[in-house]
Amino acid sequence: MTVTATRTGSPGHLLTQVAGERASGVLVVGGHPGGAVFVLEGRVIYAESPAAPGVGELLTASGRLAARTWQNALDLGTSTARVGRLLVEQGHLTQGELELCVLGAIYDAAYFALSPASAPVEFLAGATHWLGPVVHVDPAAVDREVNRRVRLLDEIFPDARVDTSPVAPVPRPPRERVTLTAPQWELLVNADGQRTPADLALLLGRAGYATIQELRRMAAMGLIELPEVRPEGPELVRMPRTRGTAVDVQRPVVRPDGPAVPVITGARAAAAVPAPAIVAPPPSIPPPPEPAPEPAPEPPPDPPRHWPADETSGNQPVYRPPRLARRKPGARLPKELAGESPPVHQGTDEVLLKRIRTALRALR
Amino acid sequence: MPGVDHCLQEAMAIPGAVGASIVDYTTGFPVATTGAAPNSDHEAAAAGTADVVQAANSRALYVSALPHDLLEDLIITTAAGYHLLRMLRTDFDSRLVLYLWLDRVQGNLAVARRRMQKLADELVAS
Repeated sequence: MTVTATRTGSPGHLLTQVAGERASGVLVVGGHPGGAVFVLEGRVIYAESPAAPGVGELLTASGRLAARTWQNALDLGTSTARVGRLLVEQGHLTQGELELCVLGAIYDAAYFALSPASAPVEFLAGATHWLGPVVHVDPAAVDREVNRRVRLLDEIFPDARVDTSPVAPVPRPPRERVTLTAPQWELLVNADGQRTPADLALLLGRAGYATIQELRRMAAMGLIELPEVRPEGPELVRMPRTRGTAVDVQRPVVRPDGPAVPVITGARAAAAVPAPAIVAPPPSIPPPPEPAPEPAPEPPPDPPRHWPADETSGNQPVYRPPRLARRKPGARLPKELAGESPPVHQGTDEVLLKRIRTALRALR
Repeated sequence: MPGVDHCLQEAMAIPGAVGASIVDYTTGFPVATTGAAPNSDHEAAAAGTADVVQAANSRALYVSALPHDLLEDLIITTAAGYHLLRMLRTDFDSRLVLYLWLDRVQGNLAVARRRMQKLADELVAS
């Protein structure tokens, strides 16, 4: 068995290449959800992906086969890669059923495995699937169909977040009258805000792609909640004002007779000497916190970053903003102000918070 | 054991048959094809077939009139042919339809419909 080194590229492209060489083996696609496409002499014989229920899940979730029957066939046939043939020979399935089920599973899983434009892919030559060859599909047809399915979804509702995030029905429908198809109903009553589309597909024994299709339709109708847009870049960046002198409640007020350096009356001073604070110019037009560039009487030396406590206790508490070099709009904050950016989570914290919220709600 | 290919061969043996296919009507994809297709394009024909089935199944309310009613087949007649769509009901999740294109002169609609029904039943039931 030879293994090509893992590389990042288009899975569909590698499949075409492998098919051209009439190779046998498995194309393993990494990433999320990823998957695997099994090839025998250049023809696709099976495909699987965590986001698509496999033949076993489809047959047992629907009740077509008892779980025991399926397990028996696995036990007997896995080592010789003839699980599919055994099921037909033992009379549990017709050849037609098996073929249709495998065909459906192949195209379903291939969508998830091959639709990413770029993913880590590797080809393990010689590997075969335990189901055994049931059907032989032209890889070019698979690739074409995958691309068509991508387009179909975007025509319905062009938002791929629907495909992966937990499904939550909106609490109130956006219209007085809503018409649902049977598959849509099934999805809605099983969506609990935690199950992802892949979970729902597996639970209901429905094709992963068909599930996503219905979800996108319902998203287009406004029936399921869209996941929040996560802002780009690290979340929870500390704002610059949280360090150093924090006098944010009151905007700076300039007294006409005051010094050229902007002066702020602190909260305490405003309470003690209310008059100047009231007659002061309307606070809706706050003056710039930076000193005016006009030639002022020699500005005092740079104030310390941390305001001494004794100044605020005085009669004229004076706020001088710490002097910062002017930044260009959009420029990064200086390191000591921005703080270290928190690690970027892949949505795990969000899911965790949602679960905690649901649990708390249940306790009420 | 009749498989998919055998089923399509049998469909082609129906008098007047020009082409046949099995179409996934959620995605409009021809899972298996044989013979000719309208405009020699099985994939485009399948996409259209899917639209027709979806329209009859979920947009028009024919099958919603009574509880537990089901769509069995759709027959479209044109001046030059018959187009028969027979729903394939599998226990596991699949949304498939058996499509047969018949020549209007050589084909017999009633015969073809009975044969299609038998084929669809044999394909998915032992």
